[in-house]
Amino acid sequence: MLQIDQLSKSFSGTPVFRDVTLHLARGEFVALLGESGVGKSTLLNCIAGLETPDSGRVRIDGTDLAPLDDDARARLRRSRLGFVFQAFHVLPHLSVAENVELPLRLLGRPDNARVAAVLHAVGLEGLGDRAPAQLSGGQLQRVAIARAVVHRPALILADEPTGNLDPSTAERVLSLLVAEVRDTGSACLLVTHSDAAAARADRVLRLGMGGIAAP
Amino acid sequence: MTAGLDTGPRWADLARLATREWRHHPWRHAAALLAVALGVALASSVHLINVSALAEFSSALRATNGAPDLTLRGSGGDMPDSAYPEVALAPGVALASPVLEVDTYARQADGQRLALRVLGIDVLQVAPLAPDLLPRPDEGEDRLAALDPTRVFLNAAARERLGVAQDMGETVSLQSGSRWISLQVAGWVPAGGAPLAVMDIAAAQMHFDRPGRISRIDLRLTPDAEPSAWPPGLRAERPQDAEQRVSQLSRAYRVNLTVLALVALFVGAFLVYSVVALSVAQRLPGFALLGVLGMTARERRRLVLLECAGLGLAGSALGLAAGTGMAAAALRWLAGDLGGGYFPGVTPALQWSWPGLAAFGGLGTAAAVVGGWVPALQAQRLQPARALKGLSSLEAPVSSAGPGLALLAGGVALAFAPPIAGLPLAAYGSVACLLFGGVVLVPAVVDALMRWVPLPGGALPRLAWRRARFQRHTATAAVAGVVASLALSAALTVMVGSFRNGVSQWLDAVLPADLYARTAGSSAAAQQAWLAPDFVAAAAALPGVDRVAASRVRALSFAPGRPSVALVARDIGNPAESLPMVEPPLPGRDGELGIYVSEAMVALYGAQAGSWLNLPLNADGVSDSSPVRARVLGVWRDYARQFGSIAIDIGDYRRLTGDTRVNDLALWLAPGADLARVREAVRALAPDPAMLDFAAATELRTLSLRIFDRSFAVTRYLQVVAIAVGLVGVAASLSAQVMARRKEFGLLSHLGLTRRQVMALVAGEAAAWLAAGAVIGLALGIAVSAVLVFVVNPQSFHWTMDMVLPAGRLLALGAAVLLAGVLTAALSARHAAGRAAVLSVKEDW
Repeated sequence: MLQIDQLSKSFSGTPVFRDVTLHLARGEFVALLGESGVGKSTLLNCIAGLETPDSGRVRIDGTDLAPLDDDARARLRRSRLGFVFQAFHVLPHLSVAENVELPLRLLGRPDNARVAAVLHAVGLEGLGDRAPAQLSGGQLQRVAIARAVVHRPALILADEPTGNLDPSTAERVLSLLVAEVRDTGSACLLVTHSDAAAARADRVLRLGMGGIAAP
Repeated sequence: MTAGLDTGPRWADLARLATREWRHHPWRHAAALLAVALGVALASSVHLINVSALAEFSSALRATNGAPDLTLRGSGGDMPDSAYPEVALAPGVALASPVLEVDTYARQADGQRLALRVLGIDVLQVAPLAPDLLPRPDEGEDRLAALDPTRVFLNAAARERLGVAQDMGETVSLQSGSRWISLQVAGWVPAGGAPLAVMDIAAAQMHFDRPGRISRIDLRLTPDAEPSAWPPGLRAERPQDAEQRVSQLSRAYRVNLTVLALVALFVGAFLVYSVVALSVAQRLPGFALLGVLGMTARERRRLVLLECAGLGLAGSALGLAAGTGMAAAALRWLAGDLGGGYFPGVTPALQWSWPGLAAFGGLGTAAAVVGGWVPALQAQRLQPARALKGLSSLEAPVSSAGPGLALLAGGVALAFAPPIAGLPLAAYGSVACLLFGGVVLVPAVVDALMRWVPLPGGALPRLAWRRARFQRHTATAAVAGVVASLALSAALTVMVGSFRNGVSQWLDAVLPADLYARTAGSSAAAQQAWLAPDFVAAAAALPGVDRVAASRVRALSFAPGRPSVALVARDIGNPAESLPMVEPPLPGRDGELGIYVSEAMVALYGAQAGSWLNLPLNADGVSDSSPVRARVLGVWRDYARQFGSIAIDIGDYRRLTGDTRVNDLALWLAPGADLARVREAVRALAPDPAMLDFAAATELRTLSLRIFDRSFAVTRYLQVVAIAVGLVGVAASLSAQVMARRKEFGLLSHLGLTRRQVMALVAGEAAAWLAAGAVIGLALGIAVSAVLVFVVNPQSFHWTMDMVLPAGRLLALGAAVLLAGVLTAALSARHAAGRAAVLSVKEDW
C-alpha cells in the first residue's frame, strides 16, 4: 500500500531525515514515534506529495509520486489519502455533514447515505446539521476521522490526532480510528508522542537522524 | 503596590514598534502614504491656486478701485455726471472722485484685439482715494499731460501686451463703437492686474461716446458722517462688495474642485484601511504575544492608531509639498482659474495660506486615522490566548442593516435640503451618507443576494458560496473600496454624460443659424464694441445670405455683491422654438413687457415664470428713466452664463432704450451659398475686420464640446485613480484574509485541492462579494449622480439638466471592475496554496 525507499529530505542544506525506508501493507496500522524536530511531519508531507524529497521514492497503492506534477499529486491525495490532524481543522462555514461529505464532493460523487453511515459509525448520528462551533473537541476530532475515511482512502495519515484531547476522549477517538481502519481495509500511519496511542498499533517505529527503525 | 505597575509603554516605545512595521513592509505602507499624499496634494493645490488667484485679483481690484470709504454707482449702471457735484457737496463727504469705466479693446501690433479697461479719472481728485491710478508722465512729457484729451497712461500689463516701450511717445488704438481712436501714450500708472489704461474723465467721455456720464463716485467720508441719503438712482457699495463679487465668480467652481480633491482623500482613507487591516492580520500572533506580555487592549489600539497617524502625517507633509509644487506649476502654466475662465489676464504669484494648508494636512492625518480605526479596534479586541493558539481571526460581529439604512435615509433627506451659504454643502453631506451607507450595507446585500442564488452543486462553487455567505461580515473590508470607487465612477459617468448631453442639446437650440459674428467676448465689452444697425441691413443684402438676426448684449447689475447679469436683446418670435425653454412659456399679455430669464435668475433673484422684475435699463447713456417693470414669461436654460441672463425682444429693447446698436449677428445662408465667401463678404463690411470674430455653427459646437471634454478630463483621471485604489484595497483585504485562513487552505491542499483550485476558490468567494459590491456600487452611483445632477449642479451653477443613464457604459464599468476585482483576488490568493499554507495546519503543535 505504501512503499518508501531511501527517502531523504533537507532544508537549506540541513538534513531533516536520511535514508528512510518504510513499507505498509493494506489494513496495517503503524505508529511512528520520534523526538520533536526529527521530521515526522515533513515525512508525512513527503508521503502526501506536499513536499518533494531530495532523494528516494514514495509509492502509494503502486503509484510512484516522483513523476507526478502538483495537480496529479493533488488528485492522488484526493482519491487515495485521508488526513487527521491534531487541530481538527473542521471548516466552520460548513455543517458537520458537509464537512464529512467534502472529500466525496471533491471527487464528484456526493453520497448522503455514505455520509450518514460514517457519521453513525463515529457516533455523531443526528448531529449532521449542526455547525462545528456547537461541537466539543472530541466530537470535532470524530468529524475529522469521519472525513478522513468517508471516501475509503487507501492510506490514512494521522498526525498526533489525540494531542489536543483529554486521555479518555483520546482513547475513544483512537479506538474509532483503529476500528475504521480495520473496517475499510485502509493502511494507517499514525504519528504520535503518546506511548498509549502507539500501543494500539500493529507496529511501532521510531524516526531519528539515522533513519527509521523499530524502537 | 509595586511601583510602576500601572505604567504603560511610553509613546516613544510605541512609535519605535510602529516604525519597525513600516521598515518591514515599506512598499505597502508607501502605497498608503502616497494615497493620502495624493488627496492632500490635490486639495491643497486647488486651495493655494484659488487663494493666489483671488489675492492677485483682489489686489488689482484694490489698485483700480482705490481705498474709498464708499463707492456710489447708478442703480442700473452709469449715472449722469450732474450727480457728482451734488454728492461732493453732500454733508459728511470729505472727498469725492468721479470715474468713468469703459471696457473696450486695444489693437495689438498683429492687428488682433486686446481686452482693455479704460478708466476716465479726475486727475485732481484721484490721488488720495486711488493713488495707483494717478498718471505718472514719462520723462519729457508735459506735467499736465494727464489733462490732455489725446493722452493715455498704461499699466505694466497693457504696456507689455501692446508692446509699448517707456519714454518713446508711442500711440495706441482703442475701439470706440465701430471705429478706432488713436491716443498717445504719455506715461504709466502703477495699478497692477489686467491691462488697464487711464485718461482724463472728460476725454474718456468724449472718445467713448459717453458725454455727461460717469460710472462711479469714490468717496472719503468725514469721521462722524452717517452716509444714508444719496441722490435718487444711486446705490452705495462698500469696498468689500467688489471683492465679494470677484469671489462669487469662482466660488462654486472652486468648491466643486475642492470636493473632487477631497474625494481622492476619501479613497485614500480606504487604502489606509486595507493596508492597516492587512498589517494587523499579519501581526496577529505578535499582538497576541504583546498582549500576553502585558500590553493592554487599549495600548494595542493606540499602537495601530499611532502607526496610522504617522502614515497620515508623512503623507500629508508629502502632499502639502507636492500640492505647493503643483500649485506653483499650475499658476505658471495654466493661470489662476484652472480653466474656469473666471480671472482673465491674471497671472498670480503663489500665496501661502497657512491656516488652509494646516487644515488640509490635518484632514490627511485624520483620514489616515479614520482609515485605521477598524483595524485598530480589531487589535484591541483580540483575545491573546486564543490568538496565540491560532484560534482567533479578524472576524467582526455580524451587524444589522439598520445603520446602513439610516445613513441612506439621511442621505436622501440631506439631498432635499436647501443650499447653505449659497453652496450645496448639504448635498455633499448627502453623497457622503449614501456612500458610507452603501458600504455598511454590503454584508446585508451579500446575504440577500445569496438567498436569491441557489446553493450550487459543484464542490468548489459550493465551498465558495457557503463561505462567502458565512463570512459576509468580512465582505465589507474586502469590497468597501470597490463599492466607493465604483459608485464615484458611475456617478461621475452619469453626471458628465448627462451634462454633455444637455450641453449638446442646448447648442442645437441656441445655434440655429449657419454663421455667427460677434463684436465682443463679454457683455461688459459689448457696451463699447458694437456695430451700427445699417451694418445688419448691409449684411442681409449680401449675396448668399438668406436671413440675418441681430442681437444686443448688455451687462445689468441687480445686486452690489453679485456679478452682473447679461441682457440679451434679440428676435424672440416664438420662444418655445427660439429659446431652450425649461417648460412651456406663459402667453404674453397686451401692455406688458415680457421677458425670458435663465435658470440662474430664478435661483439668484427669485424670478420665476409669472413674477415681475425691474430692469435697470437706464444705463448706457441712453436714458435716466426709472427701472422698467417686466413680467417673466418663461425660464430658459443657459449653460453659458452662470450668474444669470435675460432675453428680451430686440424690438421692445429698442423701443424702451432707443439703443439700436448691435453686438452679435446670426446669419442663415441661402441654399448652395459658400460659407467662407459669405464670411469674407461680411468681414469686408466691417470698419476693421479685426472688430468681428466669426465662427460657423458647427465650429462653435465642436469647440464648445471640446472645451467641455477638456474641463471634465480631470474626472476621468479621478475615476481611474479611484478604481485603482479600490482594487488595491481588494488585494490588500483579500491578502489579509488569505493570511488569516492559511490553515483552512492548508487543509484543502491536504484534501486534494490543486493550487489552481484553491486560487479559484478564493476568486469565487471574492466574485460573490464583488458582485454584491458591483450591484451596490452601481446603485449608489446612480443615486449619487441623481444628487449631483438634480441638487449639486443647480445649487452650484444654477442650471439644470436631464439625467441620462448610459446603461451600456455603466454595465461595462461594473463588469470591468468585477473582472479586475476577481483577477486581483486570484492574484492575492496565490499564497493560499503555497508551502506556508500547507505547513500552517501544524502551526499550533
